[in-house]
Amino acid sequence: MAYRYLWTPLELGPVTTRNRIVFSAHLTNYARNGKPTEQHAAYYGARAAGGAGLIITEEHSTHPTDWPYEKLIHGFHRDVIPGYRAMTDAVHRHRVPIFAQINHNGGQASSMFSRLPVWAPSAVADPLFREVPKAVTQSEIDEIIAGYALVAEHCAEGGFDGIELQCSHSSIVRGFLSPATNKRTDSYGGSLFNRTTLMLQIVAAVRKVIGSRMALGVRICGDELIEGGTTINDAVEIAKLVEASGQVDYINTSIGVATASLFMIEASMHIPPNYAMFIPSALRKAVELPVVGVGRFKDPLQAERALAEGHCDLVGIVRGQIADADFAAKARAGATDDIRLCLSCNQECVGRMGLNRWLGCIENPRTGREAERSAAALAITHKPSKPKRVMVVGAGPAGLQAAIAAARNGHSVTVYEKEPHAGGQVRLAASVPNRAEFGDMIRNQLTECKRLGIAIEYGVGVWPGFVDEQRPDHVIVATGAEPQRPWWAAAEAHNVCDVRDVLTGDADPFGDVVVIDEVGFHQSTSVAELLADRGCTVEVITNGMVVGQDLGITLDMENWWMRASAKGITQTVELVPMGMDGVTLSLLHHPTGTNVTRTPDWVVLATHASPVEWLYLDLKAAGRSVERIGDCVAPRRAHAAVVEGERAGASV
Amino acid sequence: MICVVRLLEPLTIGTATAPNRVMFGPIVTNLADDDRAFTARHLAFYRARSAGGCGIIVTEEASVHPSDWPYERAPLAANCPAGWKAIADACHRDGSLVIAALGHSGGQGSSAYSQSPLLAPSRVAEVNTREVPKSMEVDDIRAVIAGFVAAARTAIAAGCDGVEINAGQHSLVRQFLSGLTNHRGDEWGSDRLKFAAEILSGVRAAIGADRVVGLRLSCDELAPWAGITPEMAPEIAVALAAHIDYLTVVRGSIYTVEKTRPDFHEPPGFNIDLCRSIRSSLDPSIVVFLQGSVVDSGQAEWAVNGGVCDGVEMTRAQLADPQLVAKLRAGHAERIRPCIRCNQTCQARDARNPIITCVVEPSTGHESSDPDWYLSTHHRRDVLVIGGGPAGLEAARVAAVKGHCVQLVEAADHVGGNAAYIANVTPFTDWLAAEVNRLGVSVTLGARVDARPMATKPALTTSARAGAAGGFTCADAAKVEGRQILLQATGSVRGARPFTSDEHANIADIADVRSGVVTIPEDGPVLLFDPIGGPIAVAMAEHFGSRASLLTQDQISGNELSRSGDLAPANARLQQAGVRIERRTILRHVAADHVVVEDRFTGGQRNIPCVALIDCGFRLPAPPIPGADIAAGDCVAPRTILEAVLEGRRAANSLDTVPAN
Repeated sequence: MAYRYLWTPLELGPVTTRNRIVFSAHLTNYARNGKPTEQHAAYYGARAAGGAGLIITEEHSTHPTDWPYEKLIHGFHRDVIPGYRAMTDAVHRHRVPIFAQINHNGGQASSMFSRLPVWAPSAVADPLFREVPKAVTQSEIDEIIAGYALVAEHCAEGGFDGIELQCSHSSIVRGFLSPATNKRTDSYGGSLFNRTTLMLQIVAAVRKVIGSRMALGVRICGDELIEGGTTINDAVEIAKLVEASGQVDYINTSIGVATASLFMIEASMHIPPNYAMFIPSALRKAVELPVVGVGRFKDPLQAERALAEGHCDLVGIVRGQIADADFAAKARAGATDDIRLCLSCNQECVGRMGLNRWLGCIENPRTGREAERSAAALAITHKPSKPKRVMVVGAGPAGLQAAIAAARNGHSVTVYEKEPHAGGQVRLAASVPNRAEFGDMIRNQLTECKRLGIAIEYGVGVWPGFVDEQRPDHVIVATGAEPQRPWWAAAEAHNVCDVRDVLTGDADPFGDVVVIDEVGFHQSTSVAELLADRGCTVEVITNGMVVGQDLGITLDMENWWMRASAKGITQTVELVPMGMDGVTLSLLHHPTGTNVTRTPDWVVLATHASPVEWLYLDLKAAGRSVERIGDCVAPRRAHAAVVEGERAGASV
Repeated sequence: MICVVRLLEPLTIGTATAPNRVMFGPIVTNLADDDRAFTARHLAFYRARSAGGCGIIVTEEASVHPSDWPYERAPLAANCPAGWKAIADACHRDGSLVIAALGHSGGQGSSAYSQSPLLAPSRVAEVNTREVPKSMEVDDIRAVIAGFVAAARTAIAAGCDGVEINAGQHSLVRQFLSGLTNHRGDEWGSDRLKFAAEILSGVRAAIGADRVVGLRLSCDELAPWAGITPEMAPEIAVALAAHIDYLTVVRGSIYTVEKTRPDFHEPPGFNIDLCRSIRSSLDPSIVVFLQGSVVDSGQAEWAVNGGVCDGVEMTRAQLADPQLVAKLRAGHAERIRPCIRCNQTCQARDARNPIITCVVEPSTGHESSDPDWYLSTHHRRDVLVIGGGPAGLEAARVAAVKGHCVQLVEAADHVGGNAAYIANVTPFTDWLAAEVNRLGVSVTLGARVDARPMATKPALTTSARAGAAGGFTCADAAKVEGRQILLQATGSVRGARPFTSDEHANIADIADVRSGVVTIPEDGPVLLFDPIGGPIAVAMAEHFGSRASLLTQDQISGNELSRSGDLAPANARLQQAGVRIERRTILRHVAADHVVVEDRFTGGQRNIPCVALIDCGFRLPAPPIPGADIAAGDCVAPRTILEAVLEGRRAANSLDTVPAN
């Protein structure tokens, strides 16, 4: 496919972007003590080097009353400016413009860090933070506006090319715009026009500070997806008012409220791509200003199509460039297949944000560590003086990543996989229809293996004698984990199987099925859906307080509940399996100590696996140069496999 | 009241002598920096306790090995020498012993920061995260033991008087000791004491006989099917006693993390029997400390006198009042600010990295940045505090200490506000009332003030229910500067209701139910609408028991209780009491005999019968009083006691800045 639009420049006021790909604003938790860090500079610098057209940084707070999470950049302190300089220099080095997003989160915060009352248009508690805010007075509104102007000044001094006002999903401006949170009766509340007053006052104050040499953008929410919130018609009117101010150079878009409908802002693979396209599309029809579209843009062709169909002028691609910093450069060079496609799994990017951890990526171990320069840092390429022959056992995510990292450093790598295909458990997980995109992880790794000339021998099991024959200099064991029967399920019970047995087709449960969830993630919910789709009556039982507890972290919980309800899947919590007598499953309701039973046709286990460690232990005992990675160390999630694979391969 | 004597006597621990028998135990603070080192904030935090007379300060646990990074701001021993030295130097000047807590969380740690597998004796998944640890290879075991020894050496070289090895909650050492978590077939499993014994003997050999080695030991894992039981614990303690100078008796396992430092739902001194049995099994030369919600000095004195223990860990009590020992020495036990065991803000092991603090003493954790609240004023003002809840009482108290002329009016017939109706909080509101009284603040009950008098002359009449503030002038008017300052602390009123209702619907505000203004029918189902998920609706639901249904939009009732550790216990108590928990439920409409609710995910509606609905939702600030100069607490924005106390203090400290005319 030829690109007609993606690589064309665009003027945003005084700034020209070289292409239409935006690395739009998102939290990173890279700040320390309220200041941007070297990691920020390296992170944004890597995306600029990788060909992005425009970088918009994470939010900079405009006022001390705004401190919703620990690692927020306090833009209102002058001591942020050296960090700003480092960030903008790192990006400008690649002739890419960089804008700062400035923001006050308003009532979408708590006083935990600030020890100050939270400020909002009205005393309406946020559904996530659950703290009643203080309704701001006129003098406090003046202070808010002055805060934006002050931070804009810091940004100008720090070398930014533009400012974006986040008025969309977690902002005091959103609070004023939305009838759900603005209950004021003064000139800041009531009509839509009144509700835009604060936004327009901030626009004017910021423009006054930055003059005409910097661009100014406003990010608007197209649908808050909450009761009584703003919807697309409001958004169109707001966009018109923004344009009419004559002081704004572009409009960015978003969907949802960060503290109420986050699962639609950072949608996982269960939400179709382009789901938010109606927003830029509607706004672009109403205004002349360039409009940015966002919402699970995974690949450059999809981005091109959005531009070609006239939905937007620029495309925000965040997770795509988190997964592959060279997304744009690879696309531009025609090497689309080489792009490490984002899975939209949300495990290490979005999933770490809510837990106050630094932003990473399930399949890109470099993300979040761009600034590490020590010899021990991951993925630092150095050619060994004497390349080694490396044997990798197992072609799951751990083994493949180890092979990639070792081959990148010039070692000669052969991967042995006992199955006829690569991917291990990831391949199985992705075999469930609505989890298919998870399989892109293996596709990406195999593409990289091919590019690096790594040999993969399928259908070859490895045993110590084979290693003696092959005489590799180093062995990396990545043999994964195998299902194990929990103590309460007899090995001979043939109406019991593991999730993996269902996915491979080795077991075909029917009728009434109980799925036991002791892992708390997609294993139980995926198999439950699959079996419900096949006509089974499914109950998922967990010993925890919530089935699939970690689906909340990846923003899959809401969708799971909607799908599970539609499919008639029941969910029962706080039950511990105590034994199985033929067809009768005994369970203990642990909060009350009462016993219950089930008599299903099948029991499917989403329980902890057991590492396949014998090969590693044998080789180690024999004095081989060997190490083990991934699930054969301890059964965990794919990210642990990739991190350990990268570490092992890079340190051969 | 018990006369506190023994508790204040010196205590010999090995070759060291503590000035008294009160310990400040190792507690997670989140005061460490990004490099996992102690900070100036730590120093100020511990210094406040040593200055207050604490006998033994055990610093926040440091990980002994890089494989352990249990929470982001967990100190790492290798990075702690400078911090330990600063803390030891400062606290030694006050006479306290300083002991460095050392540990490894094992399978109860986190891999999120290290990006490395968790280490544990066997592959037993962590209960909350469900992460499966690596079953340690012998090399791993040797490395961790060496880590303990090296860390002990580092701590002693930095000037600490000793080290305390954690075999209590969140500890690899306990995971080796316990059959719950140690399923090994090798010598480290056949002899489950081996790991602890090698660590303790290695540490002892490294630091010598003239330094203190302590052990924090879980003596009841509350999991008798495989865990350490009270019957087994003395044997373990005796077996390890050869290497140690003191032992702190704690309880809890991987399945009962919240039972180690529980909130007020567990009785104070819950480890007394356990501790007594350990004390009686051990040689008298080994000092035994009692731990477990001991917040009252009378109970501590009784325990020391009664052969329960030789010393007492009173950590939360000294978070609430760092001056605890000093006040005891001065004979003013009644002036000790009481810990209410709420656990709301002192449990800092939370992904958000909250700084440790205390609801009744909000400067805890902020010692190095908060002002000295009690500096005497040079501008004595006439202050009228309107409202006698926690914010008003604290403002009055601090203003009076600073030397202002303070009066307080309260509309109700008692002080304490809504907090006075919560059983575990009343010791604090009673303390505030007593302090305010002691400081000579004049308190008028049953009187409302709705405005500053408009006339230039003070209004002459002020009776109960009278409107303006005119009657409350300073008795010593000649000695105050400027006009009277009105400080509003009038609390909250009921909030907007996000549901519709019929005319005959029986909807009660939770504050009115608690205060007894409104009574709920004797029979029939009662619904509690709880969009907050905090302790208040849960407590009320427990009160109504099997009559009650708790409506929440969340997947879990009491969703916000995880920080205090009461989440799982609250859900168990509710279900044991027969309370129905209506999860994922949005309240739409209240009729006379039922409510209409909606499923959050499917939108499906159904009716639930009830005779009354108790609204436990968000509240609104009381309306502003015309002419008020300063506002504090819920009348600014309805929040918790912590914010009320903090803003009360800040209000008292801002009096000097209010214009005189």
